[in-house]
Amino acid sequence: MATLRDIKSRITGVKNTQQITKAMKMVAAARLRRAQENIINARPYSRKISQVLAHLLSVEKDINNPLFEIRPAEKVAILLVTSDRGLCGAFNMNVIRQVETLLKEDYAKFVETGNLDLFTIGKKGDDYFKRLPYNIAESYPHIFAHLKFEFAAGLMNKMKEFYINGTYDRVVIVYNKFKSVIQQDLTVEQLLPIEPFDKTEEDDTTAEYIYEPNKTEIINYLLPKQLNAQLWQALLESYAAELGARMTAMDMATENAKEMIKQLQMTYNKERQASITSEIIEIVSGANALKA
Amino acid sequence: MKEISVEVITPSSAAYTGAAGSVTIPGTSGGFQVLYNHAPLMSTFDVGIVKVEETSGDTKIFATGGGTVEVRNNKVLLLAESFEAPEKIDAERAEEAKDRALERLAHRSKPDIDEVRAEFALKRAINRLKVINL
Repeated sequence: MATLRDIKSRITGVKNTQQITKAMKMVAAARLRRAQENIINARPYSRKISQVLAHLLSVEKDINNPLFEIRPAEKVAILLVTSDRGLCGAFNMNVIRQVETLLKEDYAKFVETGNLDLFTIGKKGDDYFKRLPYNIAESYPHIFAHLKFEFAAGLMNKMKEFYINGTYDRVVIVYNKFKSVIQQDLTVEQLLPIEPFDKTEEDDTTAEYIYEPNKTEIINYLLPKQLNAQLWQALLESYAAELGARMTAMDMATENAKEMIKQLQMTYNKERQASITSEIIEIVSGANALKA
Repeated sequence: MKEISVEVITPSSAAYTGAAGSVTIPGTSGGFQVLYNHAPLMSTFDVGIVKVEETSGDTKIFATGGGTVEVRNNKVLLLAESFEAPEKIDAERAEEAKDRALERLAHRSKPDIDEVRAEFALKRAINRLKVINL
């Protein structure tokens, strides 16, 4: 039987926790707004690059960019984007589970022959996979607090080099896409080789362009830029999704704490009443005993 | 008024929008200027300085790390990974980047040094410093 003092201290403890979760929710909400703005700001750039590329590729059929070259996959790299900090619900576990499925099913034979490398972005993915017998080629923890385009460009340049010099024949990225505050879309995308463009993108260009220096050069210039933008977008999406997930998780935690406090308070009151009642009974029966 | 609309988009924001009389761009195969009624054009440009002559008479300069440009119907659209006005450039950082690049180029024979990248970094740093001091 818990004593009154025990219950009281439990209540204080839960209240403190509730304050923390509430504060974390608020911080996440404030950061989320900024993260969402960043996504919106980044969209026109990648959309425009895709449009220009789609146009160029529709007028220039003869391309031999190494980034398009499809080789039989021998060595595969998986980039997984997780968060740096926890307390964001199933956010990280979703990515990790998806990667594990890839490792155990789609790419099982690459894992066996040691031809699969992981690149972990964010601390949590690294924490998880370094205990397991998989090969982590490189890890990039603590990048989300100061997310810079240069980071995305630098990492992508590295992957491009790896692809061109044959270190990897396929590069895949797994991350959470930001759909809404309460919803994340787990996404698996192939970065390299570049998948053929869908030409559904509206191409209203009837004008005859002057191309300088020439079409192929522009295509070769733009393809890597498009990849940089794609990775940048993925990182921004993941960060916003993380904040959204944290907000929801912390909101739920706050609600649960509220419920718990209510229950505890009820027990406390009942317990208190019981002790008062028994005290009165003691006094009354004591008085009766004296009278008799 | 014979003006062209200029729009610059970078991965983190729309860096510039406005109406201009002319735009000077450091094209890969030589700098060029876009004026009213320019023929449709698609081109790449290098590290260098973009000059926008605004309709108000002001001339604005920007440091860029290269990108592509599309000209059509008196609209100029620049896509660049970096595009900065002089007041946004951190002189100290540019100075540091320059020193770092020079340092790396001084040891260019070492296998772990990417000469092309170092040279590119140096070019960008010098360009930034040039824009500040213009």
